[in-house]
Amino acid sequence: ASAVASSNSGEPMEGTSGSLNPTTDTSGIMPEFDPKTMRSSKPGLKRLFITTSVLFSFLLGVPFLWKSVEIYRSPLPFHDIDSLSDQIESTPLRFPCNFHAVFVGFRSTDADNLRSQIQDGINQLTHLSPQCGSCSFSLSVTIQNPAEQCSETLGHNPSSCSYRCGMIKSNDFGVGLDDTVDESLNDVFSGCSANSRKMYSVVVVNKENANGEDEVKAVVGKRRHAWIVGSGLEERNDDMVSRVSEIFVKMFMNGGRDEDSIHGEFMPVGSDGRIVLSFSLLNSNPRDWVYDWDFQRIDDALLAPVTKALAPIANISVESQVLYHTPKSSFSSWDEQLQSYIFRTSDLPFFVNSNEWHLDTSAGASGRSKILQFVVYIPSGSECPLLLQLPNGEISKTNGFISPMWGGVIVWNPGNCDKDSESPIRNTISPQDIEQIVEIFLGQFRQLFGFKSEAIYTSVLGTYKILPSERGFTEWELDVLSRKHTCFNLHSCSTTLSSLSKLVRSLPRMIIKDEIGEQVKYSLKAAKLAQSNASLGGYSSSASSSREARSLAENAFFHPSIMSVSYFSYEHCFAVYSPFFLPVVAHVVLAALREWKRYRQEKAKYLTWLTRKKTA
Amino acid sequence: MLADDMACNARNEYPAQVFNNENHKLNLYGDNVEVDYRGYEVTVENFLRVLTGRHENAVPRSKRLLSDEGSHILLYMTGHGGDEFLKFQDAEELQSHDLADAVKQMKEKRRFKELMIMVDTCQAATLFNQLQSPGVLAIGSSLKGENSYSHHLDSDIGVSVVDRFTYYTLAFFERLNIYDNASLNSLFRSYDPKLLMSTAYYRTDLYQPHLVEVPVTNFFGSVMETIHTNSAYKAFSSKTSNSKINSEMPLNQLSEDDELQKANIPNDELKTEKQKCPYTQMRVDLQEKLEKLENVDTVVNLSIAVMFIVVMVSSSLL
Repeated sequence: ASAVASSNSGEPMEGTSGSLNPTTDTSGIMPEFDPKTMRSSKPGLKRLFITTSVLFSFLLGVPFLWKSVEIYRSPLPFHDIDSLSDQIESTPLRFPCNFHAVFVGFRSTDADNLRSQIQDGINQLTHLSPQCGSCSFSLSVTIQNPAEQCSETLGHNPSSCSYRCGMIKSNDFGVGLDDTVDESLNDVFSGCSANSRKMYSVVVVNKENANGEDEVKAVVGKRRHAWIVGSGLEERNDDMVSRVSEIFVKMFMNGGRDEDSIHGEFMPVGSDGRIVLSFSLLNSNPRDWVYDWDFQRIDDALLAPVTKALAPIANISVESQVLYHTPKSSFSSWDEQLQSYIFRTSDLPFFVNSNEWHLDTSAGASGRSKILQFVVYIPSGSECPLLLQLPNGEISKTNGFISPMWGGVIVWNPGNCDKDSESPIRNTISPQDIEQIVEIFLGQFRQLFGFKSEAIYTSVLGTYKILPSERGFTEWELDVLSRKHTCFNLHSCSTTLSSLSKLVRSLPRMIIKDEIGEQVKYSLKAAKLAQSNASLGGYSSSASSSREARSLAENAFFHPSIMSVSYFSYEHCFAVYSPFFLPVVAHVVLAALREWKRYRQEKAKYLTWLTRKKTA
Repeated sequence: MLADDMACNARNEYPAQVFNNENHKLNLYGDNVEVDYRGYEVTVENFLRVLTGRHENAVPRSKRLLSDEGSHILLYMTGHGGDEFLKFQDAEELQSHDLADAVKQMKEKRRFKELMIMVDTCQAATLFNQLQSPGVLAIGSSLKGENSYSHHLDSDIGVSVVDRFTYYTLAFFERLNIYDNASLNSLFRSYDPKLLMSTAYYRTDLYQPHLVEVPVTNFFGSVMETIHTNSAYKAFSSKTSNSKINSEMPLNQLSEDDELQKANIPNDELKTEKQKCPYTQMRVDLQEKLEKLENVDTVVNLSIAVMFIVVMVSSSLL
């Protein structure tokens, strides 16, 4: 019976169970034996075992398949990125500054009153709303009377250096050049900004009716101090307080501009923290005359200080070229009165001839640096002299214009417009003309950074003369630039990193290389460093850390491997593998289920037979 | 980006010349034509890389879109297209959702202020169906279900040379001169469905300014925003001494950059470091001695002779 049973269970069945051979069974003894509900032998396990082992081997292979289609994604610190962007949005970055006002030749001794007046004046001008990059200031006031005795009040965080009474004498002012006054004031205040907190000072000097002049002169120096000189100032107390507040806010905090923040259009630093200044000398018709310049000396003597001064903000490199046969694409007309050719401001947008002027040919600049083009255009003989006429009819003093984020153009007319009928002579631009051109270039360079090109500031209260520095920017202007650029860089870094994290999360099957993870990590680190440096008052260190943070974030975001078109979604993966596995898997699972069902049925039949046998 | 298979095609009667009209007046391959991507470089991937800015480090600047947050970009696409796609090189397709995704990333990264997309294919309007980013203006030459047609056939060359939509766009610009202040509205209104044989459809829901106020030079004509420079920065005029170029460079007195100044005394420090290492010192001395020799050639010749003698002697001894 057991041999029969085993042969029966060894045959492959087609799902129709119960078709046992009843004749070989020893069921003749039991008259109620019903082959449909009973079987006399125990059902075997072999069939079940085979099908379930196949199913099991499939299931065992699933983890290996999963591992083989897994993609490598370097873990990005999403939480840190979100917290950085929240932090930057909610708390605008403020830098600590010290403001110090010194009143010389004033008889009153109420320094506290003056201090609160100036504080009110400043608060009025800043509208009490903190902007990113503004100063959280502490104000101190010193009054020095004509007998050289001082009364002073100090602010919350006084600087470590204090003003020694009597160091500033009212005789120093009003005579001699402003530059010498600036230098002498520098000696007084020089030790004070070497530490972390920068100190800005305004000196108000009340002269005792010198030559009967009644005018008030206000000058802002090249470093971090300004002075107002006049007579009879003590009577005009409110006026003086307003002017002092104006100098603190409009000059030292905002850099001589009227708005608080600089738009992105005036932030020409490339995303890798570099700027390339590309100078081109354009001879529009070399058949008339050819000009050349000694650029090496220009770079060494005039441009190097500027480049060095801006080092914390951008890594600047300079290149130059001389081009020939470069006509402009706009038109000019002859003006009989001015005896020259005139082009107007409406022609300026069409001036640059991008077809013929091959300016952007720098091989040294990498893809993400910013190139600023500075063009010196020498008109041809048929258009000489070429002058720019402003809308109000005046002739421009500089003959130059800028295009934000592109660069600037200066039209330089050769001194003598008569062409030599013989072959053109090669001339070199004289050093005096070069200096004039570089002065206009510095004005344009300042404009590209959002500052004014002229060294004067006019407000309702009066005019302020600003001393120009041969570095292109005064130290307090450099401070403003550092603060604003730190803000901009940090903001840009945080938005870039948030965009990157959103993008990465939206493409779950995109490979994230280790390089990207590292860059994100270092970028977050540099951003934190910049924030902490800013709160301590290190302007240039925070500017360079923020620049690094932005550059790393941009490198991570613009990594060439993040291209959504190269990666496929989960649905695609499923669609690729399902034709292989689905049909086979379906059959295997169904077979196992069927065998299990059959085994249970056979087992039930065997059990009923056993009970029958027992009861019988 | 041009597939660029026509100018030097063997069947082109006018080799290296491509005209846009059968009168052959304007050679599109004349002077100053710059094609940045041609031939096999024209792929959907490269196109999306140009838009999003994700290039390899070695890609030169001329092959990158160097735009910033104030730029106005004109994107003109033509070829064969269909419902929500544009064909690239007979092998690939640019899908409308890929384009919309690229534009979204450009907007997030502030790569443009205003973007104008002009598409001249069959069913062109479907290509910008999925756009969501603000600041984008799009016009297509035909609606879904419509074809766009070519304008005329050049029987000399044997192919059609320009499409209708493009032809009428160029005709509009030919009528303008440099000082006309034509608006985009007048450009869009100039398209006549009867002449085009399709409906030129444009979408302005993502573009805020009114089309009547926007000049065509916002996108066409390579026109720059300019600001006049009011005055020079008289940094050198106050100096009473000689011209800066001829005089010596004054020392810079930056109060916080003492570290930088220390780094500007290179030679002494390097020398002291070198003296610490005897080997390098020996080599430096030797090099100095050699440089002092006037007639290096005789020394070399002598030493070669000496070597020869040494070799002879030693080989005879062995």
